[in-house]
Amino acid sequence: MKKVEAVIRPEKLEDVKESLSDAGFPSMTVTDVKGRGLQEGVTQSWRGEEYNVDFLNKTRIEIVASEEDVDEIVDVIADSARTGDIGDGKIFVSPVETAVRIRTGEEGDDAV
Amino acid sequence: MVELEVLTNGVNAIWVLTVTFLIFFMQAGFAMLEAGQVRAKNVANVLMKNMMDWSLGVLVYFFVGLGIAGVAAGLTSSGGFSVAESFAYINDSSAWVSWLFGAVFAMTAATIVSGAVAERLKFKAYVFYSVGITGVVYPVIQGFAWGGGLLSGNGFLGAAVGVGYLDFAGATVVHMLGGVAGLVGAYMVGPRRGRFDSKGDSVPIPGHSMTLVALGTMILAFGWYGFNVGTQATVLAVENGALAFKGTALGRVALNTTLGMGAGGVAAALTTVYTEGKPDPLFTANGLLAGLVAVTGAVPHVTWVGGLILGLIAGVQLPFVYRWVVDVLGIDDVCGVFAVHGSAGAIGTLLIPVFAVSGFSATQLAMQAVGIGVITVWTVVATYFIFKLAQVTVGLRVSESEEIEGLDEGEHGVSAYPEFSGSGGNAGAGETAVDGGEKR
Repeated sequence: MKKVEAVIRPEKLEDVKESLSDAGFPSMTVTDVKGRGLQEGVTQSWRGEEYNVDFLNKTRIEIVASEEDVDEIVDVIADSARTGDIGDGKIFVSPVETAVRIRTGEEGDDAV
Repeated sequence: MVELEVLTNGVNAIWVLTVTFLIFFMQAGFAMLEAGQVRAKNVANVLMKNMMDWSLGVLVYFFVGLGIAGVAAGLTSSGGFSVAESFAYINDSSAWVSWLFGAVFAMTAATIVSGAVAERLKFKAYVFYSVGITGVVYPVIQGFAWGGGLLSGNGFLGAAVGVGYLDFAGATVVHMLGGVAGLVGAYMVGPRRGRFDSKGDSVPIPGHSMTLVALGTMILAFGWYGFNVGTQATVLAVENGALAFKGTALGRVALNTTLGMGAGGVAAALTTVYTEGKPDPLFTANGLLAGLVAVTGAVPHVTWVGGLILGLIAGVQLPFVYRWVVDVLGIDDVCGVFAVHGSAGAIGTLLIPVFAVSGFSATQLAMQAVGIGVITVWTVVATYFIFKLAQVTVGLRVSESEEIEGLDEGEHGVSAYPEFSGSGGNAGAGETAVDGGEKR
């Protein structure tokens, strides 16, 4: 089992959700987060005076899936979240020891 | 047989009351405009100041204010006066409509100040100054300019120069006075924490809602029609035994008000394209108001070309005067009230003779300069004295920890946006569920 963690543009969440759903992966956990990349935020102005916005609003999607599905999930997220501009975000994949479906007690791949 | 006098009095009273209510609604505009320009942790404090300067101000203006205006006028003119006569309006029911019409102007001057001193002035000190401006600072100038006092044709200065001071609806009497008072107050209370860095360079402190800024601006502009067009208080008059409709006078003030507003907004937007590269919404909102301020004294006196040009000048000067206040004077005028109300009012009123329908008059130009000077000097001196008095009695500035925490919590024990203030040192947040339930 693996966990796919994607940090994307908030306005792309709808596209990513639909694409994942169409590909057969409807389950996900979504969190509003703040973050920044190599550009260290953006510059805005108030009454003509510029200031730096250090952390930008981003959306984090977490999906735990069986090993054979992970590559497809990563591809679907990357394709649907991409605009080609700076700030599209990143995807991280990490191993997961186990999972438990609380309602039935099923464990491992059966639980995700 | 229709009594023409009764008819005209009735129609004019309805008009005056209608515009009075419009001007009162400007209080809502100021409250929203100022609330939008401060951080979320100080919103309730700004709203409280706006509600209190109106509520307390009308009481002060009833018991003291208008009477002081009469006394100030009588002392500085050849007309002579009695204190009892100056205060006779209190028990004269026929004077109450015009008292209310005067009161809404006084409260407008008072409420401008809160925008300059926001986010660090103690609530008590603000209340203290509100009593001062509605009881003395504004009424004295009202008496000087509009009550037959110092600056009018019969006043000592007006008579000396040879002509009375022109300020139709209060570009200087109301707005410049409020803008200058705000500047003095902001200077005395000092800049907000973090407004200037260790080298003295300015650091912006963004307000929490551009939406409220735009809403407040539009409400103010709406109410301003009462302010300017309403000061043309005579809709119908009896002339040579027949009814006369004052349509052309009303038309001129309505058109000049609108052109000044439009030109101010456009000019500010274009100026910021030049200075910042993009049209700035906040400066544009301010520019629209600065255009209104600039024509407020001039609307019946100048041609429509004049109204347009005054609005343009007001919009263009705005970003530059604002920067001058911040960079040169080092004063933290939170809502830019000096650039919007102060300098715009002075320029617009000074230039009335240049664009006058009746033609240019050097004497009038001299009187305009004298009047602006008198109002400025009086406002600076009186405001300094009152804030100084507040400083030694109730204190001017909230503590450093209260400023960081926010004046909402420190001064009033509330939060304007309880569901969004979990961070930012809001004492008690996390103890109680914000939906009213008890947290377990």
